[in-house]
Amino acid sequence: MTLALVGVFLLLVLINVPIAVALGLMAVVGIVASGGVDALPNVGIVMFSGATKFPLIAIPLFVLAGAIMNVSGISQRLVALASAVVGFVRGGLAMVSISASMFFAEISGSAVADVAALGSILVPAMRKKGYSRNFAAAVTSSSGTLAVIIPPSIPMILYAAMSSSSVVELFVAGIVPGVAGGLLMMFVAYLWARRAGLPAEDAFQLGRVWRTFRGAGWSLLLPVVILGGIMGGWVTATEGAGLAVAAALFVGGVVYRELDWAGLRQAVLDSGVQTAVVMLLVAASALLGDYLTEARIPQQVAGAIMGLTESKVAVLALLNVFLLAAGLFLHSAAAIILVVPIVMPLVQAAGIDPVHFGLVVTLNLGIGQQTPPVASVLVTACSVAKAEIWGVTKANLPFVAVLVAVLLLVTYAPAVPMALVEALYR
Amino acid sequence: MRPSDGPALSRLRRLLERSLEAAVAVLVAALALVVIVGVSFRQAGAALPWYDEVASVLLAWLTYYGAALAALRRGHVGVPTLVERMSPALRMWAVAAAEAAVLLFFAVLAWAGWQVQGALAGTAMVSLPSVPAAVARSAVPIGAVLFVVAQLASPPQALGAVRTSAKGAPADPPPAPGRPASRPPAPGKGCP
Repeated sequence: MTLALVGVFLLLVLINVPIAVALGLMAVVGIVASGGVDALPNVGIVMFSGATKFPLIAIPLFVLAGAIMNVSGISQRLVALASAVVGFVRGGLAMVSISASMFFAEISGSAVADVAALGSILVPAMRKKGYSRNFAAAVTSSSGTLAVIIPPSIPMILYAAMSSSSVVELFVAGIVPGVAGGLLMMFVAYLWARRAGLPAEDAFQLGRVWRTFRGAGWSLLLPVVILGGIMGGWVTATEGAGLAVAAALFVGGVVYRELDWAGLRQAVLDSGVQTAVVMLLVAASALLGDYLTEARIPQQVAGAIMGLTESKVAVLALLNVFLLAAGLFLHSAAAIILVVPIVMPLVQAAGIDPVHFGLVVTLNLGIGQQTPPVASVLVTACSVAKAEIWGVTKANLPFVAVLVAVLLLVTYAPAVPMALVEALYR
Repeated sequence: MRPSDGPALSRLRRLLERSLEAAVAVLVAALALVVIVGVSFRQAGAALPWYDEVASVLLAWLTYYGAALAALRRGHVGVPTLVERMSPALRMWAVAAAEAAVLLFFAVLAWAGWQVQGALAGTAMVSLPSVPAAVARSAVPIGAVLFVVAQLASPPQALGAVRTSAKGAPADPPPAPGRPASRPPAPGKGCP
């Protein structure tokens, strides 16, 4: 029965039925087959309650905060500051892209928002300095993936909701790997720029750093307030997201006065539609989850794999390969919603910390956003840079290698993500 | 607008899009406001008892009204790779089957949501006893019906590709020159 259902699901996905609908139909077929038509009204109940998950309210709010930053001059100021700090190095603009991404990531939590916002400023600037279109798109795309490991992070919020783990601990676990990944990427950009003979931007001037710092001062306060509030335990992640919206509105609208109604309207609609797309997936997966739990599928998967090997290292390796493969063909939100509930019993049986595993999942699917055929972040970068996907993919290989290196480090040296969590919360 | 669209269909689509956009904008703004007000009151030591429940219901409303808007814009996450590589004849069948599958699911959901409405008579929201539970849960049947209408009012993208490629024209028009690429390619298509 289960195999037949998986077959139905795959067939529907392959003819381009939205994944949320394919999940829902698979569950409906399962429900009718086991409980008859009388069980169908249940669909209406679960599809509602599945969409009322309070922690996920953080998603529209963080997307909205990022979109407001994007239309209100906050992004430009971050780029100006980053240029003043690292622009004097050879390949400086690439490093500006990476470091501005890391800042931006601390407020918005969405890699696509990050790439769209910064790419539209930095790709033309890089082109002017002689960077190839493909490289400019690649560095923008890869540094955008840092956004999903540096808190706040929408994939982490989704993972936490699907696995019932702590969002705050996940956020803290992302800090060290995120910063390490950013530094490594800057090093790769430097090596590449030396080989290609690219110029540095301008000479380093302390005055310019001070000037741009003062200009960006209010924007820099945003992550301090938001992350400080969440990690200090004063507000939940959802409330922190609400604060992020209030703060972005205040800085963009009152301090900089660059926010207009058209920009705000677009920001609100973008965040609403993006959220609805993800939430429909969440609701449909709740429907399927009920069916799968009743059929005890996750436990059977866990039992089958634990029968093969009980080694944590081997289980993690297996999960990594599985998640990388899933990331090739699925959007990250869809992959988290589909995969996490099925593998959680296995993760627990193997004795893997759910927060540690959350970072492994986030990184794997972050890499998946860089690898065609389905690569939402890379596609956004290509569209911003008007570049062709396969050329960018080739130029992106060194950066993807950095992400894979960070993934291996996080997977097999759990202290890298977890030391900070242990020190602060356990 | 596609050449085959009648004026009535395109007018319906515009009306539906405007209304859904207004609903989505109001819901996002309300959600942000409720959370900001909720956290302010809690920090001030006077937590609002209805805040979590109302915010959760608003999220569900945003899910279903926003999903209908995304359907109108054909923005739901799918895997179009295989369909795009099919021969035009095969692609027509695949597109028709996919459309039918989507319509079937939301018809079932609308019916199931309606059954639930009947069963809820006399019950209310936990923290706001003056609001009937049926109102809170109305988003599912209404959203499902709107989804069906939106799906019918918007031509499938793959079908558009069939039509244009049959005429020998490129499936995607090249981007307009000189337009700054300041926005993501398709709002709502990107996954966070």
